[in-house]
Amino acid sequence: MTTATTTAPAPAPVTSPPGASWAAVSALARFETRKLLTRVPVLVAFTVYVAWTVWRTRVSFDGFPALQDADRATQDGPLLVGLAVLLSVNQAVLRSRRHDTERHLAVLVLPRWGRTVAHLLSVGAAALVTAVCVGGQFAWEALKPGAVGHGSPAELLVGPLSVLLLGGFGVLLALLVTAPFAAPLLIVLLLFLATFLTGFAPDGWTRWLMPSVGEYSVVTLPSDLIGRPAAWHALYLGGFALTLMAAAVLLSGGARLRTARAAAAGAVALTLVGAVGQSRGVPETVTEARVQASVTPEKLHTCVERDATTYCAFPEWEPRTGAWAAAVDDVRALAGGDARNRPLVVRQRVEARYGLEADATLAPLTRPGEVTVGTAWGGNRVPEFAVAVAGVLVTGSEATAGELCDGRTVTVMWLALAGRPDPVADLRRVRIDDSDTGSAIVVSRTEPLQMTSAQTELLRELLELPRDRAAAKVKAGWAELTAPKVTTDRVAQVLGLEKPEGENECR
Amino acid sequence: MPVTGIRAAGDTPVREARRGALLTLVRPVARTVPWRALVAGGALGLLAAAVPRLSGGEVTPWAGVNALRAAALCCALGAAFLLDDPARQTTAAVPVRRVLRHALRCALVLPPAAAWWTAAVLLVPEEARPPAGDVTVEAATALALALAGAAFAVRRLGADRPGQGVAASLLVTGVLAPLLTPADWALFTVPGDPRWADGHGHWRLLLCAALLAAAVCCTEPARRRTLRTLRSPSRT
Repeated sequence: MTTATTTAPAPAPVTSPPGASWAAVSALARFETRKLLTRVPVLVAFTVYVAWTVWRTRVSFDGFPALQDADRATQDGPLLVGLAVLLSVNQAVLRSRRHDTERHLAVLVLPRWGRTVAHLLSVGAAALVTAVCVGGQFAWEALKPGAVGHGSPAELLVGPLSVLLLGGFGVLLALLVTAPFAAPLLIVLLLFLATFLTGFAPDGWTRWLMPSVGEYSVVTLPSDLIGRPAAWHALYLGGFALTLMAAAVLLSGGARLRTARAAAAGAVALTLVGAVGQSRGVPETVTEARVQASVTPEKLHTCVERDATTYCAFPEWEPRTGAWAAAVDDVRALAGGDARNRPLVVRQRVEARYGLEADATLAPLTRPGEVTVGTAWGGNRVPEFAVAVAGVLVTGSEATAGELCDGRTVTVMWLALAGRPDPVADLRRVRIDDSDTGSAIVVSRTEPLQMTSAQTELLRELLELPRDRAAAKVKAGWAELTAPKVTTDRVAQVLGLEKPEGENECR
Repeated sequence: MPVTGIRAAGDTPVREARRGALLTLVRPVARTVPWRALVAGGALGLLAAAVPRLSGGEVTPWAGVNALRAAALCCALGAAFLLDDPARQTTAAVPVRRVLRHALRCALVLPPAAAWWTAAVLLVPEEARPPAGDVTVEAATALALALAGAAFAVRRLGADRPGQGVAASLLVTGVLAPLLTPADWALFTVPGDPRWADGHGHWRLLLCAALLAAAVCCTEPARRRTLRTLRSPSRT
């Protein structure tokens, strides 16, 4: 019997390069990522963020989002995730200290800065998950049938970059202050200062130092008139996050590495460039374009003709012509006389001169047969537009419709509301105090309309009739119902309804 | 054992011995109280309470009440570390029950906490100061929740240093509560709101519940509950 003796080959001498082996860093990064993403605060934050986003996005923008607004709406939710990541990554960096395993880890192949890099990579993974959520939210808005406009990638980056910034801050904080109570206390202070300082609303460049910068108004502008330094702000945020991360690597023993020092210098330069870029205010070309869009919008409009109506809109809103046409056709179908096929121009207008800082009303159009439509749609904007169309069909022009103070108000409101699925609910929505009795102001993109108690009473009576009967009565008495200076009592008489008892004085 | 006439009724030697043990415990317990966390929480809390006054200009009641809420949360986050005791396992055998040891810790901290809270309330300008009693109930609830959480972690998990986890949970609760609590509970209202009184009825209920939970969790369980699967066949 022969025995074969095999000698195990001697292990090849390991020539590990000085510094971290990237395989070890990536292995540790994978472990830290798994740990970080399954920490309770992070899980709770992601759950709440996703649930809240889904809940809001179902009904946001009344189903008709302008994507240049929808991109900004993705910025606030990730801050919650960012705070949870700050807290959890801070605790993760302090873990080895808490369990007194620092000495054991010190003998491993990985230098201390390598472990910091692994923690920073886990923050990057959390930012990536946030980016997926932000992308999902924006894609949902963009896929809604009523979506128009263009989103800005820089605005979409703000959410993930905030997570990166806050997470990087958490790592740096753990290296600076080793007490476990530092991070929670600091979060409370940050939150408090953030809410308190936004109450003061510092204008100008200082407000752009915050991660997410909101706007005061809800006006929707064409995307080239927004004038937010979004790209500079994303650069600033990214640079700031990289600065904090590079500082963390330098602090944990990476100061000898030339790459780390170069990265820190580069990140500081990026931050400064971003901060200077974002503080320069609205560029002059945008200001000029805003004036042009507000004063002479017809030079920018593209017009589409449908039946007897021409729809002139900013190019980004062209896909919405169909929705406007449906509303106009509903009103026209109920009208009598020549109002059914009189030519009408629907002109989109916007007051862009004040940017996103203020919501201004528009002056009514004086040319006959022209109706204003705003940039928002859906919800209350639909009956509001229907009232404007009915006002022009009855009185001839928007300017005269705004001064309306006689029995024609009943006809205008009935034309606008009777074609709607729930007229009385829409009546409440267009009235400023949400009432359906008594006198009230009717909201409008231009001049508001006034309704007296008597007119409201008569309108409610007319809306209670079956629609076909009411429509027949309105068409039969069209000439008299739309005659200037017709009294409310006379309108009641023409329609064969009871004389209203409420007061009938315009204020 | 004969009872001498000088000793008051019920003042048995056992009780006396216990009191002696408590008195000897004061110094070591005071040494293990995490004063750094408490002082840091208190200092940041005072800073938050002072922000409205420091910012100059007119202070709204909204700013006043929220400054005090931030201060109370800072204090509660510091207090979440109160029951941290790295030597818990080795000192578990002292002849004083856990509830007394915990109570001793709280008793050591409560007087400075009361003085601190008075200072915080006085830091808010008078015209913006919310009703002191009501806002104190809010602060006490936060503090009681922190202590209840820490006591729970000690009782159920046997944690030596529950502070970090409890502070994280309290912070998550504190951030999410204003966002997620139903509006009709009116917990986070501003003075002058018609629902302020209702809301503070709810705060009192919450405070009672937190105190009760803290009291229950402070007692030492008669038998340590463990998962059945973790037990060895010899039931050790």
